[in-house]
Amino acid sequence: MNNRAIGYELVVFVTQWGLMLLGFGILTKFVAQLNLLNPSLSLDLYFDAAVKALIALVLSVAWLFIWDRQVRLYFHKRGR
Amino acid sequence: MPSLGANTVAILIALGSFPVSLGLTRFFMYWNSRHGIIGIDVHKLNRPKVPEMVGAAVPITLILFAAIYTLTGGASSIALLAYSLVVGLAALVGAADDRLKMRGIFKPVLTLLCGLPLLILGLAFPGEIYASTLHVPLFGSYHLPVIYPLTILVAVSVTSNTVNMLDPLNGSMAGGISIVAGGLLIGSLLIGAGSMPIFLYASLMFSMLGFLYYNRFPARAFAGNVGQLSIGASIGALAILGKTEIASIVAIFPNIQNSFFFLSRIRRFTEHRELTSKPTKLLPDGKLADSEDPRAPLTLVRTLLVGRPATENEVVSTIWMLFLTSTSLAVITLLLTGVTL
Repeated sequence: MNNRAIGYELVVFVTQWGLMLLGFGILTKFVAQLNLLNPSLSLDLYFDAAVKALIALVLSVAWLFIWDRQVRLYFHKRGR
Repeated sequence: MPSLGANTVAILIALGSFPVSLGLTRFFMYWNSRHGIIGIDVHKLNRPKVPEMVGAAVPITLILFAAIYTLTGGASSIALLAYSLVVGLAALVGAADDRLKMRGIFKPVLTLLCGLPLLILGLAFPGEIYASTLHVPLFGSYHLPVIYPLTILVAVSVTSNTVNMLDPLNGSMAGGISIVAGGLLIGSLLIGAGSMPIFLYASLMFSMLGFLYYNRFPARAFAGNVGQLSIGASIGALAILGKTEIASIVAIFPNIQNSFFFLSRIRRFTEHRELTSKPTKLLPDGKLADSEDPRAPLTLVRTLLVGRPATENEVVSTIWMLFLTSTSLAVITLLLTGVTL
C-alpha cells in the first residue's frame, strides 16, 4: 500500500471535511436565517430560495477550488 | 437501544442478499460469456477477456430483497417502492449504455430522471420519502421546502455517475462501496435510525460483497454501467431515505475527488474509452504507472501512482483504505448530527 499517498489523502479529506461542515454551518446559521424578500408573496418564496441556492453554489465552488489546489500541491507538483 | 428487535430482523433478512447476489453473479458470468458480453481487462499484460454487465446481479438482488422486506411488513412500502424504482431505472440506463455505447452526456442527463420516483412519491405521500429538513452536524438544521425536492434529482445523478467513474481496477468500486455501505450501516445503528435504512444499507453491503467475490483481483466479472449506475443510485436514494445526506457525501469523498479532477481537466462529460490521453500506463513488468501525460486527467488512481509505480492489487488496497478513511469521517459526521454547538 502507498502509505504516503494515504497520508496525503487523509490530510486532504480531513481538511475538506472540516471546510464542508463549516460551509453547512454558514448556510444554517447565517444564509438560511436571511429574509431577503417578503415571504408573504408566493413568488418571493422561490426568489428567496433561488438566491440562497446561489450562495450555496458559490460556497460549493469555493470548496472544490480549495480541494483542487490542495491535491495539486500534494500530488501533481511532486510528479513533475 | 430503541427497536433492537426490528433492526436485528432487518439485518438478518438483508444477510440473505449475500448468497443471492453471489449466485446471480455466477449466473450472469456464465450467461454473459455465452452471449459474447465480454470486456478486456486492459490492466493485465495478457489482456484477459472478462464477462461484462455482471453487476446486474446487484440491482436485481436489491430490488428482490426490498420486495421481501416489504412483504414482511418491515417498512413503508412507498419508500421501498421508490427505492426499487430508482435502482431499477438506473440499472436500465446503465444497461442501455452498455449495449448502445451512448455519448458521455447521456448518462448524467438520463440519471437525473432516475430520481423522479423519489420526488413524485415524496410529493404524493408527504413525510414518507423525505422531510425537506437538512440536519447539519454541530449547527442544527434548516428547512428547505423548495430546494430539497429539486436536489433529490441532482443527488441521484451525481452519486450514480461518480460511482460509475471510479471503477477502473478490479474490485475498486465493489470494495469501496461495500465499505461505504458498511460504515453508514454502523453509523445508522449508532444513532438509532429506523429499521428501513438499516435494512437497505445492510442489503447493499451484503449484495456488494457477493459481487466482490468474483470482481476482486484478478477479476472474473466486470460490473458494467448497469451495476455501477444502479449501485451509485442506491447510495443517492439511501442518503435521502435514511436522512444521511451529509454523511453520504463524506463517505464518497474518493469518488468526488476522482470525478472532480476528471471533469476539471477534460471539461466535458465523456467516456473513459473516448479519452485520447490516458492517466495511467501498464509497464512491461505488469505494474501500473502515472502516464505523465499533462493532458490526461489527474484521477484518483493517477494520484496514487505519482512518482511510484505499483501493482493493481496495491492500488486497489490503497483505494479501499481511502474509503475506510472517508467512511470513518462519515460515521463521525452522523454522530455529530445530533450535537448542536
